[in-house]
Amino acid sequence: MDQPATNPTIDKMNRGLKRRYRAERRFRICGATAVFTALCFLFLLFFSIVSSGYKAFQKTSIQINVFFDPAEFTNENLATANFPGLIKASMSAMFPEVTSRSDKKDLYYLISPGASFQLINLVKDNPALIGQTQQIWVSANDDVDMLLKGNIDRTRPESERRINDKQLAWLDTLAGERKIKKTFNTTFFTRGDSREPELAGIWGATCGSFYTLLITLTLSFPIGIAAAVYLEEFAPKNRWTDIIEVNINNLAAVPSIVYGLLGLAVFINFFGMPRSTPLVGGLILTLMTLPVIIIASRASLKSVPPSIREAALGIGASKMQMVAHHVLPLALPGMLTGTIIGMARALGESAPLLMVGMVAFIVDIPQGFTDPATVLPVQIYLWSDSPERAFMEKTSAAIMVLLVFLLLMNAVAIFLRKRFEIKW
Amino acid sequence: MESLFQTAESGALATAPKEEILSEVTSNTLHKARETVGDPFVENPRMTCREVNVYYGEKKAINNVNIDIARNEVIAMIGPSGCGKSTFLRCLNRMNDTIEGCRVTGDIRLDGMDIHDKNVDVVPLRARVGMVFQKPNPFPKSIFDNVAYGPKIHGLVQNKSELEEIVEASLKKAGLWEEAKDRLNQPGTGLSGGQQQRLCIARAIAVSPEVILMDEPCSALDPIATAKIEELIAELCEHYSIVIVTHSMQQAARVSQRTAYFHLGDLIEVGKTDRIFTNPRHQLTEDYITGRFG
Amino acid sequence: MKKGILLASALIAGMFAGTSAQAAGRDYISIVGSSTVYPFSTVVAEQFGKTTNFKTPKIESTGTGGGFKLFCSGVGVEYPDISNASRAIKQSEYDSCQANGVKDIVEVKIGYDGIVFANSKKSAPLKLTRKDIFLALAKNVPDPKGGDKLVPNPYKTWNEIDPALPKEKIEVLGPPPTSGTRDAFVELTMEAGAKSFPFIHDMEKKEKNMFKATTQTIREDGAYIEAGENDNLIVQKLEANPHAVGIFGFSFLDQNADMIQGSLIDNESPTFENIASGKYPVSRPLFFYVKKAHADVIPGIKEYLGEFTSDKAWGNEGYLADKGMIPMDKTEREHFAEQAKDLKTLTMKQVK
Repeated sequence: MDQPATNPTIDKMNRGLKRRYRAERRFRICGATAVFTALCFLFLLFFSIVSSGYKAFQKTSIQINVFFDPAEFTNENLATANFPGLIKASMSAMFPEVTSRSDKKDLYYLISPGASFQLINLVKDNPALIGQTQQIWVSANDDVDMLLKGNIDRTRPESERRINDKQLAWLDTLAGERKIKKTFNTTFFTRGDSREPELAGIWGATCGSFYTLLITLTLSFPIGIAAAVYLEEFAPKNRWTDIIEVNINNLAAVPSIVYGLLGLAVFINFFGMPRSTPLVGGLILTLMTLPVIIIASRASLKSVPPSIREAALGIGASKMQMVAHHVLPLALPGMLTGTIIGMARALGESAPLLMVGMVAFIVDIPQGFTDPATVLPVQIYLWSDSPERAFMEKTSAAIMVLLVFLLLMNAVAIFLRKRFEIKW
Repeated sequence: MESLFQTAESGALATAPKEEILSEVTSNTLHKARETVGDPFVENPRMTCREVNVYYGEKKAINNVNIDIARNEVIAMIGPSGCGKSTFLRCLNRMNDTIEGCRVTGDIRLDGMDIHDKNVDVVPLRARVGMVFQKPNPFPKSIFDNVAYGPKIHGLVQNKSELEEIVEASLKKAGLWEEAKDRLNQPGTGLSGGQQQRLCIARAIAVSPEVILMDEPCSALDPIATAKIEELIAELCEHYSIVIVTHSMQQAARVSQRTAYFHLGDLIEVGKTDRIFTNPRHQLTEDYITGRFG
Repeated sequence: MKKGILLASALIAGMFAGTSAQAAGRDYISIVGSSTVYPFSTVVAEQFGKTTNFKTPKIESTGTGGGFKLFCSGVGVEYPDISNASRAIKQSEYDSCQANGVKDIVEVKIGYDGIVFANSKKSAPLKLTRKDIFLALAKNVPDPKGGDKLVPNPYKTWNEIDPALPKEKIEVLGPPPTSGTRDAFVELTMEAGAKSFPFIHDMEKKEKNMFKATTQTIREDGAYIEAGENDNLIVQKLEANPHAVGIFGFSFLDQNADMIQGSLIDNESPTFENIASGKYPVSRPLFFYVKKAHADVIPGIKEYLGEFTSDKAWGNEGYLADKGMIPMDKTEREHFAEQAKDLKTLTMKQVK
């Protein structure tokens, strides 16, 4: 120790100081990397979904001149008229040079089979159309749609395309005459499922999700909150309540498919409720979300400061008054957040619904709790498994719709929290 | 019945040597209670406490305390941390009921009525024995609603104008009216700490209590707010009996007429405040007052 | 608060009132069963729903076995009316139907589905035989050195099986064991391929269990990759990995002809015509089964059968053919259309 005397304690501290700062820096870099990676994956996910799905919001229509031949409308029931025949006649009129049987079939293929339904509705709404000629935009077939959106490569050899050379030529003619256009795809937002991609829509599944979640919300919110309030504020702390608490925590982690099996056994086989309905689906999702809501509600009840409880009790409020007037209002934002997060989880759930027949092809829009219905995630699953390529973009578009709903719900959760949050 | 009890009991206590009574009482307790020095009893008391023991589970927190609370007096409870003064205070309006595992034995009477009697409802009891807490805890509602809450739940008013009268009167008594009359609809939590505490006092007196318990009401306040509260206490004792727990001996000396010194669950000494601070009889009291421990 | 409680209780009461009303009758057809038939029966159902005044039938994709389980649970509105199947009903399933009071069942064969082996267009098309497929995918194969002995599958590349095949690693993406496609593929290719070895052929009569184990067990050393039920996923993986071969239904090949090509099997390419004519060896019949007791109770069942068995649906030029189903020939169609019309029930003898 030849150097001037220094304080050995400070020396020791200084030596350790660098190491401490290094550790902090390392941790910060790790954290930032983790966040960055997560953001990258999120971006990748959004990018892949949006890039493959945004085209589904447009659809291709073809303009045809339909002559509503009075000879076809002899029957009382207008719907039985030969609408496909009308469309075929108008297509033939546009391309009189097409004569052979197989060529005609190829020509008619360009128009969606759904076009005749469109005509049915037009005539039903306005029978005066009979006898007139109208210019009408009808949906193009999904393969035409795919071609015009560039999802089918027209430079490929003919055998590898679902649109042959003749059809290409016809389409080019139509395009030259400005009889093909791409418009916003209202069908996608207003119709139920269909096996024809150009007719398939998300509205049926949206309604199904709505009815299912309505049941889930009306049951799980009051039951969950009542259970949480009882357990947290009133129940004696003994072995039974401990067992209940452990069970609730366990239930929150049970795989959702188990609830599906339970629902199948209890609601369908025992109570005889109808399969494939929002009623059963909603009940199952209620069972699934209840533990989540109870746990979140209890946590938010626990976070209400004891001073408020004492204040209420100290002035002579009964326990019930203390809970209802003071504790619940303070705990409500947390409870609402927990509920909405539980509902968002229920919205994205498909596995338990598989068991009770909600994974089904349902065209008609459900009108109530006992109509057969499917839900958004199930619709996504069903479309992703369909052979038609046009369903691929529908799948992505449906995922986007589901994501928008989830974002909305989370936004509502944040809004409610901010709105009702009471500072003290 | 009640009067019989009172006369018989006070008579017995007045005549028999204290030592005997206390030893009799404590013979069945775990450790022998220290004898209380000074006279814990008064004529015509508002509240009487006899042989009060409090247990937290197996642990004994209050050891055989006997004391009376007079009408229109301020009685201060002092003692080192953990001596049980707050616990004892909470016995007086049965706030200890809300604590898991807490058990109170003994006889506590308000105007002769046994507060532990099966027929006594804790809800009106807490209205008659109001409480103000250490940390100001107004409800996260408007100033008006804070004060109006008690009268509302107890059904003391028929209509809105009566309610407004009570709120105004209570705020005036609590010395908050001038400051708060223009902002009655603003949240009570927006007031300053001292104002919040006075709001809590107004809230307690809105239901016309007989006794107000104050659990270190000024420990979270600055000296100016403290002074205001102390002033208020002096005014309030014209109408109410006030039991105040405090850490500050100066405060006890300033506001109270009587002082009780607690030590490790025992009531060591009771007496006129002047006498306790000038001439403590018990060694422990003297040690505490002279700052030898605390 | 009170209003909320009232509203909630009214809602719940309404729900249960709805349930009981629903239990009294069902005004739509309930169909369950095979995921292979699903894309076809849904088209018929949609057409049926849009052109008639009946509600659109509800179709659940439960798999063939799952469908029969539901179908055979009993008679009544809570049980399905029709079960789709990618194979004929089994004796055990028929028995369980009978035991639960589902006595009269109408069998309708609707057409065929080809199972294709396909790879990416970036590689050369494969020419396989069913024997090749057996040797490539079975867990135990006859010893390549000769003798009637089974050894664990030693083949790593295709050209080890047949020098004419490319020198590529054997990598096959196929359906999991729960899938009906897997059952059909095992039966139609593996079994048939294995039988080209005389000693295995003999085994079928003498040691049935041993035969089954030999022909139906697929190797587990990574050469066969279970790709899940989603055939679109297999197509995408083939596109990404030109050396892999995928196994799936014909309609997926039909829809993705620009990306993938079908392998020739026993010198036949998997085209619509070849499957329809029966030249292409790997195809299976598709069915649906109708509960006769429901035909008069649930509105529209007969009309639905009529729609399905009409030529515009299952004919050579019908819309089901557009969706990739391989139609039956004319006489077979007429036979089954007749059966559907008369609701001719299945007898014990017809069930294998």
